[in-house]
Amino acid sequence: MQDPISIMKKPLVRYSQKSVLIIEDFAEFARSLRGMMTTMGSKRVDIVYNGEDAIQACRERKYDIILSDYNLGDSKDGQQILEELHCFDLLKTNTVFVMVTAENTTAMVMGALEFQPDSYLTKPFNSHILKIRLDKAIFKKDTLAPIARLLRKKKWIEAAQKSNEILHEHPKFKMACLKHKFAALKQAKQYDKALELATSIINERPIPWAMLGVGEIFYLKKELARAVDLFSDMLNEFPMVTEAYDWLAKIQYQLGEPIEAQKTLTKAIERSPKALKRQKLLGKIAEENNDISTMTSAFRQAVKFGNNSAFASPDEFIKLTKSLGMQLKGNSEVDRKKIVDEADTVFARLDNRFKNEVGTKFRSAVAHADFCSITNDDEKVDKYLASANKYYDRIEEHIGCDESLEISESLKALGQQELAESILEEAVEQYFDNPKFIKKAASLTTNKNLIANSKKANQLNNKAVQLFTNKDYGQAIQYFSKAAEIAPNNVNINLNLAQACLKYFQAKEHRLEFLKQAESVLSTITRLAFTDPRYERYSELSRLTQLMLQSA
Amino acid sequence: MTENNNNSLFSIILASTVHDMKNSLGMMLEALNQVFEDIPDDRSQKISPQYGVVQYESSRVNSSLMQLLALYKIENNQLPFNPGYHNLFDFVEEQTMAHLPLFEAKGFSVKIDVDPEIEVVFDEALMAMVVTNIIGNAIRYAHSELLINVEFNAGTTLVISDDGPGYPAPMLELAGDYIQGINQSSGSTGLGLFFADKVAGLHQHDNNSGRISLSNGGQLGGGVFKITIP
Repeated sequence: MQDPISIMKKPLVRYSQKSVLIIEDFAEFARSLRGMMTTMGSKRVDIVYNGEDAIQACRERKYDIILSDYNLGDSKDGQQILEELHCFDLLKTNTVFVMVTAENTTAMVMGALEFQPDSYLTKPFNSHILKIRLDKAIFKKDTLAPIARLLRKKKWIEAAQKSNEILHEHPKFKMACLKHKFAALKQAKQYDKALELATSIINERPIPWAMLGVGEIFYLKKELARAVDLFSDMLNEFPMVTEAYDWLAKIQYQLGEPIEAQKTLTKAIERSPKALKRQKLLGKIAEENNDISTMTSAFRQAVKFGNNSAFASPDEFIKLTKSLGMQLKGNSEVDRKKIVDEADTVFARLDNRFKNEVGTKFRSAVAHADFCSITNDDEKVDKYLASANKYYDRIEEHIGCDESLEISESLKALGQQELAESILEEAVEQYFDNPKFIKKAASLTTNKNLIANSKKANQLNNKAVQLFTNKDYGQAIQYFSKAAEIAPNNVNINLNLAQACLKYFQAKEHRLEFLKQAESVLSTITRLAFTDPRYERYSELSRLTQLMLQSA
Repeated sequence: MTENNNNSLFSIILASTVHDMKNSLGMMLEALNQVFEDIPDDRSQKISPQYGVVQYESSRVNSSLMQLLALYKIENNQLPFNPGYHNLFDFVEEQTMAHLPLFEAKGFSVKIDVDPEIEVVFDEALMAMVVTNIIGNAIRYAHSELLINVEFNAGTTLVISDDGPGYPAPMLELAGDYIQGINQSSGSTGLGLFFADKVAGLHQHDNNSGRISLSNGGQLGGGVFKITIP
C-alpha cells in the first residue's frame, strides 16, 4: 500500500544500533513505548520507573536516546533529571532526550530555557509521531554535534566558527546554530559580537532566548540600567519567562534595591514555585528585608523541592531553622511548640541527608545549639556545643566564607569566644580579598591584628596581580610569596603564585626551578573541597604543571 | 487577590483533572490496541472500522480537553506564549502523522504542498493543537482527499482544504463570531474555531494580528480553513 502522506526523503536512522532508556512511572505506558522502539528496530531498551533509577542507569551506560515522562509522581520530574544528567556529565554529546508530557508543554519550556530537551511529545501519541520526532531530533543533534563538542571542550572561538560553517551547510538549523554561536561568543567574552548577534535576531522577531541573551550581555558589560530596562520590557511581552524575573531580581539586588528584588522574585515564584535556586535567593533577600515570614516560607519550599534534587545544600536547612528561631524571638503570638517541632525535624533531616560531611555536621550542631538557646534549653545547648567541638577537630576542608561568618556569629552569641575567634582567623586568611566579608568579620572579631594583617596581605596580592598583568612575572612571584608569608593557607594567593611560576618558566628559558616551585606550592593546597568554587582553577593549574613537567 | 487565588486553584484542579482524563483515555486506547493485536487477522479486518471509530473519537475527546484547558489559561493570563522559529513543512507533517492510522484505515490521501525550506515564527504547541484539530475535522467531512498548502500575503497562511461538502452556509456567515456556531444537533461545539481564532490572535507582528477564515471551494472543491500568522 502506498504511503498516504507524501513524505520527503529522510536520513535513515539505524535504531538497531541505538540504546534507549525509558523513564516512565506508568508501567503500561512504559511497555507500550518499549513496543514502539522495538518495532523501530531497537535491541537495547531499558525501563526505569523513577528519577533516581534513571540517574543510576545513566551512570552505568551512556544512552543514545532517552524518553522521559515529565511527571513522575513523587520522584524527580523529567526536567530535574535532565538538569542532573547535564551537571553530572552523564549524556553523550549527541544523546537525544525527549520529554513526554500530558499537557501543553509551553509552561515547562519557558521555565527552563537553560536545559532544554531535544523534543517534546504530548500524550497520547502513536509510533509514527514518535519515529518522525526521533528521526528529526537525531538528525539535528548529529548535525550540530561538532559545535557541541567544541563547546564542551571550552574551545569557544572554534565553536563560533563551526557554527558559521554548519549554518552555511544546513540553513534549516540556522536558529540553533546562532544560539550556539551566541553562547560561544559570550563565553569567549566577545560581548560586542554576542550583543550584535542577539540584537539582530530580536530586531527581526522578539524571541525569548535572544532577549534574555541581550539582557545578559548588558549585565556582563556592567550596563545595569540598560539590563533592567530590557528585562522589564521583556516581562511585559513574555510574563511567563521566569528566567527574566531571576535576572531582574539579581540586578535589582546588586543595585541595592532588595525590596524591589523581592517583589520581582515573588512574581516569578507565583508562576513557577518549583525552583530551588529561586526560593533560596528569595529567602536570602527576604532576610535582608527583615521579612521573616517570607524568609521562612521560601526556605521551607527550598527544603521541600530539594528533597528530590541533587542540588540540595545544607544552606536552605540551616536558614530555615534560623528563620524559625527569628519567629520565636520576635513574636509571642506564635505556636511555639509547632515551630520547635518543625526545627527539630529540619535538623534531623539535615543531619541525615549530609551525614557524611563533617563540616556540615559541625555547622548543624552550632546552629542547633543557637536555636536551643532561644528556647532556653541549656541542657541541649551544652549537648550540641559538645558535638560541635568534637566535629570541629575532624574538619579537613576549608569552611566557606558565608558559613564561617554564620558559625562564628552563633558561637559568639553562645559565649564560645575561643572557637569563634579561631574560625574567624582561618576565614580571614582565606577570604581577605572579599571586602563584604572583611567588613562583617571586622565587626565580629576582637583581634585587631587579624584585620590589619589581612589588609597587608591583600595589598601585596593586589600589587603582585598588577605586576602579573604587566607580564613582570619575576617581580610578581616576589610579591605573591610575601603575601603567602602572611597568609600561608590562602588558596587564591597560592594559586596565583603557582600560575606566576608557570608563566615565568615559559618566559624565562624554561628554568626548571620555577616549574618545581609551582609544583611545591600546589602541593600545599590540601584542604580544598571538590565543591569549592576555586577547585576548578586548582585542578587546571595542577594539570598544566604536570604536563610541563613531563615535557621539560 | 482572593479571586486570583481561586482562579489559580481552579486552574490547578482543571489541569489535574484533564491530565487524569487524558491518562484514562491513553490507558483505554492502549488496552484496545492489545485486544486488537490478539485478534486473528481475518477477524480484525472485519472490526477495523469500529476500531477506527474508537481511535478517532478518543482523539477528538483528547483534543477538546487540551483546548478547553488552554482556553481557560488564555482567559486567565496563565498561558505562556512562546514564539520560536519552526520549519513549516516539518510541523505540518507531524500534525498529519497524528492521524496516520485513520488515513490508512479510510484510504485517504493527504498531500502537503509546503516548501521544506520555510521557517516561520509561531508558538508550536498552540498551533499544533489548532492544526491537529482542524485536520481531524476535515477527515470527518472529506470524501477521500486532503491538501495542506501555504500562501504568503502579509504573513504566512496555512491552508487546509478537503474534498467534502464544505462548510454549511450559516457557519461561513459567522465571520469571527464562533460562539454563535454552537449547534448541539450538528455536534458543532464552536470550541475548535473559537480556539483557533484565539490562538491566531495571540500571534502579533508589526501591528498585524493573526486570523482565521473559512470558505468553500478551493483546490479540492470542499471546505477550506485558513490560519494566517503575521
